[in-house]
Amino acid sequence: MAEGFDIDHLAKLARLSLTAEEKALYSSQLNQILGHFQALAEADLPATIDDARVVNEAALRSDEPGPVLGADAVTRIAPASRDGQISVPRVVDDES
Amino acid sequence: MADALHTLSAAELGRRLAAGTLTSRALCEALIARYQAVNDKVGAFTHLDQADVLAQADASDGRRKAGQGRGPLEGIPVAIKDNIAVKGQPLTCSSKMLASLVSPYDSHVAERLRAAGAILYGRLNMDEFAMGSSTENSAIRKTFNPWDLARIPGGSSGGSAAALAAGLVPLSLGSDTGGSIRQPASHCGVVGLKPTYGLISRFGLVAFASSLDQIGPMARSIEDCELLLNALASADARDMTCFGPSDRALTPAGEAKKLRIGIPKGFLGKGVAPEVAAAVNAAVEFYRAQGCAISEVELPSADLAVPTYYVVATAEASSNLGRYDGVRYGHRSASAGTPVEMMTASRSEGFGPEVKRRILLGTFVLSAGYADAYYVRALRARAKIRAEYLAALAGVDVLLTPTVPTPAFKVGEKASDPLQLYLEDIFTIPANLAGLPAISVPCGKSGHLPVGFHLVGAPLSEAKLLAAGRLFEAAHGFAHQQAAL
Repeated sequence: MAEGFDIDHLAKLARLSLTAEEKALYSSQLNQILGHFQALAEADLPATIDDARVVNEAALRSDEPGPVLGADAVTRIAPASRDGQISVPRVVDDES
Repeated sequence: MADALHTLSAAELGRRLAAGTLTSRALCEALIARYQAVNDKVGAFTHLDQADVLAQADASDGRRKAGQGRGPLEGIPVAIKDNIAVKGQPLTCSSKMLASLVSPYDSHVAERLRAAGAILYGRLNMDEFAMGSSTENSAIRKTFNPWDLARIPGGSSGGSAAALAAGLVPLSLGSDTGGSIRQPASHCGVVGLKPTYGLISRFGLVAFASSLDQIGPMARSIEDCELLLNALASADARDMTCFGPSDRALTPAGEAKKLRIGIPKGFLGKGVAPEVAAAVNAAVEFYRAQGCAISEVELPSADLAVPTYYVVATAEASSNLGRYDGVRYGHRSASAGTPVEMMTASRSEGFGPEVKRRILLGTFVLSAGYADAYYVRALRARAKIRAEYLAALAGVDVLLTPTVPTPAFKVGEKASDPLQLYLEDIFTIPANLAGLPAISVPCGKSGHLPVGFHLVGAPLSEAKLLAAGRLFEAAHGFAHQQAAL
């Protein structure tokens, strides 16, 4: 099942930057692990996944406002903040 | 008396506190002295705010003096794995990613412990983001097995188990996604219980694999484990899977000697060390002699459990850990350029090797072209495993196996072979896949290393597991055991 494994593509999807050594190591280890997963390809399995859920009730709480942390608590743990807001690198270029 | 306080059970400490022969301050001072003496050797704690602990102890003593004690945990320290939020305390998950995070809120279990009068006592080491079976994946420090400091304590709740075995604290909390409470409990000679999925709220537990994660109690005896379990189970709308306390799970079970015990066919042959098999077989014979009905049961898809787990768990982890992007909290790279470069650099600097490995694996099994072959097939295998366990448990009360195939291995022995490490969880994983309660009970030694047996029950059969454990414990000398340090 492991054909088509592309470590560069995976790293991009996962938003990870890997060194050449990491790419070689993870490629080797993931191939070994995926080889162990071959048992899943060969198994006789049920057609439905409904029974895979361990809690069957679709319990959704009511959509009502509840207590929130507040801006002070949130900005206190943010990597960078300014004027009560979290600051991030520029997302949109200047129009000019 | 003070020098022996670290050897006493939570139940005995509670009796002394209630009788007025002990104060919470004296207890906490004794445990802080123990921490200062042995934590550097064992490495169970990553953080202990001693002034805060003593302030909590004084508040508890004040409540008791005023006749406002809150129950059997009043004044008793409970140490907490570092992936469970306690307001004002670090919440690092033993990761560089969250190295500077101080939790702005309490988890549901922390609220429950405060309401019970317990002392929230320090932060316990773990494998980074609960990914591992040895606590070697912590980015903060290594934790060593108190019974042999050259060996691992198990993981990912290695700090929680080692702290108990080292007499650092009478009670601890762990989390269990594939065995992370029970496997270290077995390796350290303590009791660890993973409750039925949904019995205890995960609000404030840092998510790893949400369809599998559970918080659970760890202790040096069944009685203490039960004491802590009863304090934790409570309805909480903030975890949509939590159905709250259950009389069925928590009401003491009937006669343990009448239990029907199933032994899964072939399980003792699966790479199980001879000394482990001998200790577990002796436990089976003990139950037979007590009058329990012992029978063999079939679990034909048991071999699918490990691959199923590692597909489901890594898929969910790759999604859950997507939130660590350097924006709202956690590590942000100083080398940031564009937002995407900032996110990529922050994640690459903040996550350790095992976390990266699992994110990559989870990303692959969910990726276009492969999700049907891996993730969906794993869900189908999970359904089959669950159905087989429920069918087996329709005919017996509990299933008994070893908790772990071998005793604790040496630090570094399996560090370069992740697949071998994943197979540590072969007996514990099915309970998570099927949402079932399970417990590890100390049952002997392999040389100087503890061995545990593992009981799995039907949903909400915690009381039966505890009753079975109590019957064994009462006839053997493994309760309250601590390593000499």
